[in-house]
Amino acid sequence: MIYAGCDLGTISAKAVIIRNGNILAVETLPYKNLPKQAAIQVMEMAKNKAGLTKENISYCLSTGFGKKAVPFADKDLPEFLCLSRAIHKLDPEIRTVIDAGGSTIKAFNMDSSGKVTTSATNEKCAAGTGKFMEVMAQALEMPIEELSIAALESGHALPITSQCGVFAESEVITHVNEGKDRLDIFAGISLSVAGKVAAVTRRISLDQPIAIVGGLAKNPIVVRDIEKELGISFVECNLDPRAIAAYGAALLAEERHAS
Amino acid sequence: MIVAGCDVGSLSAEAVILNDDKILASEIIQVRPLPEQSAREVMDKALASIRLTYDDIDYTVSTGYGRESISFADHNISEISCHGKGAHFLVPSIRTIIDVGGQDCKVIRIDEYGVLQDFTMNDKCAAGTGRSLELMSKYLGVHFSELAALAEKAGQTITITNQCGIFSELEIMHYLMEDKNSADIAAGINEAMARRVKMLVGRVGIKPEMTITGGVCKNTGVVKNLEAMLGIHFMPLSEDPQIVGALGAAVFAAERFKRLQKKGERRDTN
Repeated sequence: MIYAGCDLGTISAKAVIIRNGNILAVETLPYKNLPKQAAIQVMEMAKNKAGLTKENISYCLSTGFGKKAVPFADKDLPEFLCLSRAIHKLDPEIRTVIDAGGSTIKAFNMDSSGKVTTSATNEKCAAGTGKFMEVMAQALEMPIEELSIAALESGHALPITSQCGVFAESEVITHVNEGKDRLDIFAGISLSVAGKVAAVTRRISLDQPIAIVGGLAKNPIVVRDIEKELGISFVECNLDPRAIAAYGAALLAEERHAS
Repeated sequence: MIVAGCDVGSLSAEAVILNDDKILASEIIQVRPLPEQSAREVMDKALASIRLTYDDIDYTVSTGYGRESISFADHNISEISCHGKGAHFLVPSIRTIIDVGGQDCKVIRIDEYGVLQDFTMNDKCAAGTGRSLELMSKYLGVHFSELAALAEKAGQTITITNQCGIFSELEIMHYLMEDKNSADIAAGINEAMARRVKMLVGRVGIKPEMTITGGVCKNTGVVKNLEAMLGIHFMPLSEDPQIVGALGAAVFAAERFKRLQKKGERRDTN
């Protein structure tokens, strides 16, 4: 039997297809305005990669910001559940998970059975989220992937004083207009994001080993700055960190459909 | 005596030229990358409209976000004081001014002389500012100047629950995903803006007469919502509310120039 999970986030759509717990395909698709279409498209991509048609998938669960908008999903589940399920499968030793996504920062502790024991999330404010980072990269008019590698070389990060994404954007524009180095500006943005992610994480206990997942986990400078800020080192998960929740949704699809 | 006030905000810049108590010219432009550029451009425009040059101006006061970097200004004064002064110049009975600008939202209390008594403003967060409104409109696919007209077609109001401007964008995206009516969302955006401004007004208190200035007051949807929430009617101003800061700066310029002249006369007679 073949199962699928689809995580429709605020920045990208992710799809994972599994058979007997083994991954057949993992796909990630960043999108701009049409989340529903992005979900359909990313699942098509995953099916093509696995050499399947829709009829082959027995059961599909959705999760993430747009979980209700995934038209082909049989049911939807909360992100916490999908993330913890996937992490427990990938590495049952992991005790702390930071999920730095497009619109939410989550941090949670897990016990040896894979149960979430404590958790913290950001509220009300977009500071420190992937969306925040995206707005800043747009203001710098450079691709975020490029910036997040190139800015590792920056010698002097320019501090961003505003927490608010709307104000921080103006600060960035002012820096650009004053002719400041874009990499130094981005290094400052990274410090701001890392500071906010660390602040959410400090509300739970930093039990080792610690993993980071979500879109920001693919951002080398942010990952480095979070590690520095918290004085820790992350462990690798052996799966695209953006696709963890989608993988968890696929695993849960398999388990729930079987029972 | 000809004096000028120049207000360089985060989204727009304004210039007002006064001859004694009469407004000779006023102009509004979108800001340029540097405050000095914006100030020059808007002043050039105002001067050109009445065929004057910088040499004809006796005294200039700058105000607003970029006020300290304007080379042709003789003096700079905070936009809080200038707004109070400008509103008092237009309607002396005004005691409370709500100014919703591009980057900030201020509530200003003045006395019967137009002198600042108390004020509050948003800090840290852009919710309740023009920038936030602009972002939300953009996501809805309309220019923020079209928001009020769109909201008038609303059958109901869809409440925007997020306060954060960036998250509100996502919330709007969510409603669009569910194929909600964009006019109903526009009504929700106006209501959310008004709710946030009302929270700030609560810190200073409601003392009539009240007026509303800044770019956002051109959105009648926000203004009507706010009037209903506060239970008052705003005093209309005879001039474009967006120029009130620049007007106040010009009034300060006139006062300062008169004082300087008096000092000069005293020095002459000594």
